[in-house]
Amino acid sequence: MSYYNAQSQRTQQNLARVLSYIFLAFVTFISLFPIVLLIINSTRSGSQLQTGFSLLPGTSFGQNLKAAVGSAAIDLPHGLFNSFFIAGCVCLLTTYFSAMTAYGIHVYDFRLKKAAFNFILIIMMIPTQISAVGFIKLVYGLKLTNNFLPLIIPSVAAPAVFFYMKQYLESSLPMDVIEAARVDGSNEFATFNGIAIPMMKPAIAVQLIFSFVASWNNFFTPALILTDAQKQTLPIMISKLKTMQLSGNSDLGQIYMVILISIIPVVIVYFFISKNIVEGVALGAVKG
Amino acid sequence: MKNFKKNIALLAALACAGTMLAGCTSSTTDGGDTTDAPAANGDTTAAADNGGAADAPAADANAYEAAQTAGTGALTLPEGEGKVFNIYCWNGDFKKYVESYYKAPEGVEFKWHEIANEGGAYQTALDEALMNQDSAAADEKVDLFLAEADYIIKYANTDLTQDVTKLGVQQWDTGYDYTYKAATSVDGVLKGVSWQANPSMFIYRRSIAKDVLGTDDPAQVQEALSTWEKVDEVAQKAKDKGYVMFASPLETYRTFANNSDVSYLNGDKFATTAAFDSWVAQAEKYVENGWSEKYGLWDNEKQAMMGTDGKMMCCIGPAWYFNFCMGTAQEQTNGDWGICVGPQEHFWGGTWLLAATGSDNEAVIADLMNAFTANEEIMDKILSDAKEFPNNTNVVNKYANDDSYGLEFLGGQNHIKMMAECAKNIKWDPALHTQYDQTFNETLPNNILEYLKGVCDKDTAMSNFYIALSEVAPQITHD
Amino acid sequence: MNKRKPIKSISYAKWGYIFILPFFLVYAVFSFYPMVTTFYYSFFENYNQGLTTIGPNFVGLQNYVNLFKPNEGRFELLEYTKNTMIMWVLGVVPQFIFSLLLAVIFTSVRLKIKGQRFFKTVIYMPNLIMAAAYSMLFYVMFSEVGPVGMLCKALISPDFVVFQSVGASRGVIAFINFLMWFGNTTIMLMAGIMGIDQSLFEAASIDGANGRQVFFKITLPLLSPIFVYVAMTSLIGGLQMFDVPQIIGGTDGAPNRSTRTLIMWLNNVVTGKARDYGKGGAISVLIFIITGILSFIVYKSMVKEDPNAKKNKRRNKNVLL
Repeated sequence: MSYYNAQSQRTQQNLARVLSYIFLAFVTFISLFPIVLLIINSTRSGSQLQTGFSLLPGTSFGQNLKAAVGSAAIDLPHGLFNSFFIAGCVCLLTTYFSAMTAYGIHVYDFRLKKAAFNFILIIMMIPTQISAVGFIKLVYGLKLTNNFLPLIIPSVAAPAVFFYMKQYLESSLPMDVIEAARVDGSNEFATFNGIAIPMMKPAIAVQLIFSFVASWNNFFTPALILTDAQKQTLPIMISKLKTMQLSGNSDLGQIYMVILISIIPVVIVYFFISKNIVEGVALGAVKG
Repeated sequence: MKNFKKNIALLAALACAGTMLAGCTSSTTDGGDTTDAPAANGDTTAAADNGGAADAPAADANAYEAAQTAGTGALTLPEGEGKVFNIYCWNGDFKKYVESYYKAPEGVEFKWHEIANEGGAYQTALDEALMNQDSAAADEKVDLFLAEADYIIKYANTDLTQDVTKLGVQQWDTGYDYTYKAATSVDGVLKGVSWQANPSMFIYRRSIAKDVLGTDDPAQVQEALSTWEKVDEVAQKAKDKGYVMFASPLETYRTFANNSDVSYLNGDKFATTAAFDSWVAQAEKYVENGWSEKYGLWDNEKQAMMGTDGKMMCCIGPAWYFNFCMGTAQEQTNGDWGICVGPQEHFWGGTWLLAATGSDNEAVIADLMNAFTANEEIMDKILSDAKEFPNNTNVVNKYANDDSYGLEFLGGQNHIKMMAECAKNIKWDPALHTQYDQTFNETLPNNILEYLKGVCDKDTAMSNFYIALSEVAPQITHD
Repeated sequence: MNKRKPIKSISYAKWGYIFILPFFLVYAVFSFYPMVTTFYYSFFENYNQGLTTIGPNFVGLQNYVNLFKPNEGRFELLEYTKNTMIMWVLGVVPQFIFSLLLAVIFTSVRLKIKGQRFFKTVIYMPNLIMAAAYSMLFYVMFSEVGPVGMLCKALISPDFVVFQSVGASRGVIAFINFLMWFGNTTIMLMAGIMGIDQSLFEAASIDGANGRQVFFKITLPLLSPIFVYVAMTSLIGGLQMFDVPQIIGGTDGAPNRSTRTLIMWLNNVVTGKARDYGKGGAISVLIFIITGILSFIVYKSMVKEDPNAKKNKRRNKNVLL
């Protein structure tokens, strides 16, 4: 009887495992398919892409690459640099200042502490786009068009990143450590930079890549501000190629190539720290 | 009922005009110069005056001689001119021409502001820059910008663009009259020029024409397509043989809209025109009879129909269309195409260079504008190298009269000759154009397309359009 | 600790302000001020007629009144809110089902799934690609010349065109959103499951509970605070839906305006040709209010379902507000 039971339990378990793997295979397929498709498309010529669909790679990879890099319409090297520069600055500022704000609220007791925390939670829910009107007026008023500053500076105040950092601190920064540092005569900034920051490394790694990717892919705000062809970022360039393609002035092969080029850096970085991400999201996400 | 009568009347008129169009000499568009047509901006008399004024000043021969040297780098910058020349545009075409054909004066740096026209982003950015022109630093000021036929009037009619004749640009005798009228403000001031003219042609697939009509000779095909009735007959024949006349019911929209003798707008009041109603009636007929597919003008599906196995017999467009927008055809069915005038002459699109007020590079503006209208060497390259139809009759005639010239894509047909005839007849009546033409000519037919596809009924399609219009121009009302 | 506390708050309170100052300063200038001006403009008539700016003229509540008046016999605000919510729900339901399944599979001690790291990496990948680029790929696949589009034609009807069908168009948009976000949700839920006290599972298994019982009686209830959090962030994200429908349906949300979202509406009003700051400001305020109301509803409904609501109340509060 017990033998039979164990047996049936084992078969049941095996069945469950097989079903799980089938499910995982399916999920892997739908996740990877668009990316594979993108790679295939980048090897096919514009007219091949327009007239039909194929899962077989074409032979126009080199031609598309040449068209993408040598395009007169977009300045790909500048685009890569601009995107890198902006996303780089944004992810550094966002993570550092969010960590700092979270630390400030977590470690210190002050009268407005509760109010400040609740305020940030409320603004987290406000869609950024609703202040677009005021933002455009402000940027034009300050004459900051074609300037990276209005894209970089606002990242200092990132409610969602703050919230993540705060959650993380709550679970992993014991007050004793800070007290000990104070006893050693460390000043508050030094304690934050020298003790808290290293302890927040996993959370920081996650938010670095998240904010980098978010900024790298951002189209809405940069498109409002950057008109100078040399100052534009990759998403703007892609949308430019796309509109040109709509009026027949550019080919789809070139567009897919630019998209591919634009996601390669993100995917590479992602693979290197994916372990951190998968663990890190778990770490800080919702310890509340 | 009234509308219906109007439709019939218009159809009859069109038919008559069509039959007269044996060659390319008809003057259908002349009928458009009716003085009772409501002016876009209210001032009918000014508009009419201007219509006459544009032909008046004959360009000075010596000036044209001098303008020939524009764009050769011969210009030395006058004292006080800026070093940075800011150009606003929505794609890289003009940039390519400037970089390949134009030699900039010593010491000037060209700065290109390219804003993709997605969701009207180009005009948004340009407007913002122009409206902030006064407070911008000298090297940030807009010097020159590009505008399309559908909204050029918006810029030409404001003080934000300047009189280019004061800078040394003129209406050259070699230029097509309409290209100057389009860039002239209601009070008769020339604000810019264009390097191209855009007579729009019937582009037909030769092999299909042979199958359906038994000939692919442009003159004979033209004979078969010289009126809308005849086009209908050909469409039925094509259908019987398993083809479709058009890939999109929008194909003929410009032909009708461009030949309308009234504007969509009267003051701040919108009303559909008889030309629009005729187009809708035709589009319904073509979709119902299976004479046309239901794709959009720019859909990939339409491209697919130009390929080796494609069943599309005709599409309609100017030189920029068949040279740049028929990618699949260029690759797969190169040489299997021909052009003819079709039932009604019209033009489609075009890009103009406009001079911004407050520019600190006025000499360069003039040099650039003259280079791309009067410098025949450059204009020759615009035709022979860039494959556009240049706004210079000397160059055009040279090719039109050269029997050995022909376009490989069109099976060796000398398209310049045929298009030159049409370009001469293009009319631009300022009273018929408004700054919202883009919305009328793109959003409106695209909404009707949804109805033709069966996505919604006609009333919903119209209400969708009115909602879109209210976002573009909140002040506009309609019945 | 107790003895030191008052000293600490006296000597260190100012540091709290110093540490949070940059955040609030930047927020005030680049977000709060623009938001206040946005709201301020909602009381003015202020738009462009070509290159002429009309206003700003104070019109009181006229912009709001206009939004609540039917335009062409239609109530745009309701229409676009409905579109947004339908597409959000269509995407978020499979997203939660998939994510929950995956989270359970990954955390199950019994299944001992191999190659977890690979699968987790892969399901997160779609989130890295530009939403617009991702949407373009799907647009091509589902178009009439694309493989899925052709398949639909073959299976459903020769006249069936995906992007001419309201349901299918919304479905494609929801599917893209689902694909982009289920990896993220999975990882969040995994975090939640791993956070559950392991002794509870052990106790359950000693008591002879089977997998299904463990899932419904322990995992799910204890997961609910995280579920609320994920649902809320997803809702807020869903209300901001913009890139994907913009590519699939175009500015006007084809077919028949059925894929136009609130933010697409706002975007077109504000950055379109008319630059209607008055109307745009009023729309912004309404989106703000709608976000608040819907967040509240989701929060309430999810907390009510939770049998341990009382116990978790404080925690939820902390997470959410």
